[in-house]
Amino acid sequence: MEKILILNGSPRATRSNSKRYAKLFSRHCPQETDYREIRKNNHAELRAGMEHHADLLLVFPLYADALPVGLLNFLKFLETTPPDHRPVVSVLVNCGFLEPQQCEVVVRMLRLFCQRNGYPFGSVLMVGGGEAILDSPFRFLVNRKIKHFAKSIAARQYGTWQTTMPIGKRLFVLASTQYWLQYGKRFGISKRQMQTPVIEGPDSE
Amino acid sequence: MKLILSDRPLNLELPENGEIRHVDLSTLQIANCVGCFGCWTKTPGRCVIRDDAVRVYPLIAESDTVVYVSRIKYGGYDTIMKRMLERAIPIQQAFIRIHRGETHHLQRAVTPKHATIIAYGAIEQEERSIFERLVARNGYNMNFIDHRILYVAESEVEKNVKDLIETWKKS
Repeated sequence: MEKILILNGSPRATRSNSKRYAKLFSRHCPQETDYREIRKNNHAELRAGMEHHADLLLVFPLYADALPVGLLNFLKFLETTPPDHRPVVSVLVNCGFLEPQQCEVVVRMLRLFCQRNGYPFGSVLMVGGGEAILDSPFRFLVNRKIKHFAKSIAARQYGTWQTTMPIGKRLFVLASTQYWLQYGKRFGISKRQMQTPVIEGPDSE
Repeated sequence: MKLILSDRPLNLELPENGEIRHVDLSTLQIANCVGCFGCWTKTPGRCVIRDDAVRVYPLIAESDTVVYVSRIKYGGYDTIMKRMLERAIPIQQAFIRIHRGETHHLQRAVTPKHATIIAYGAIEQEERSIFERLVARNGYNMNFIDHRILYVAESEVEKNVKDLIETWKKS
């Protein structure tokens, strides 16, 4: 059985939720996986690694509705200096919004990249509420979907899935507000401070 | 204020009253966003990376009209413009609202804006379709009142921007 290469395209790779999603994927995947993070200076090394894997999984967050720029640059590198062997590309994308459908545009971008550059396209998992869901009671839903997703790649029976928190939008707004308030509290920042309308205040350099 | 953000140099004659500003992103030092959420939770409204981007996102917020000039790649903005748009998240809050039936971030003092995107590069039909969806999505998060996309040949970029400026001067 060939191993699956997981590439984390999150800008905060080592501290990212994408890393946690990648770990869950590895745990549930019947095949062995290799995990790497995309950095500015390791593109050639990652491309070399792709030669030895039949499947490639890209894990990343939605960034300004699209690909994080670090991942975009890696794809451009692959376009100019392609590997001899092109693995099947699968995608696990998470967004902070409740609706996983907000990830559909970025999935289309990756399909286009694959079509243009001769990579077979594999499975897709879109996760809504992706910033907080892993620390919520709904973690089991992500686990379940990742299990299906991982099995589909291992079995080469590719498909598309999505998951999110099974709550209404208003409740999501309340829950996410609490989440961010706790986040700010760690740095001694109040709700009022976080809500400031001021962009680059007068004391800015 | 009207703001032209471009990913390439443009030779433009702008009125001296500052009503129209041009920022050539290709000449600026702008690092990738590191996703630290500092601009939402540590220093709200300010990016912790103190490079040229911190002079640009206040202009985006302030403008009532924006023109983004960018090469298109895989149906999205290419690196230079995308990097800047990622670094512009200090103009949003961490907090979420329901907007047009979906959850999106609340804005800080961001003027609602008319947006024109001048898109260039070898853009095929599927890529246009993706890009149009992307810009519509961006509109929800970037306070666009409306937007339009002009697909132009690379050699025609400057002419199209100049034509737009002439239209503004006449109106």
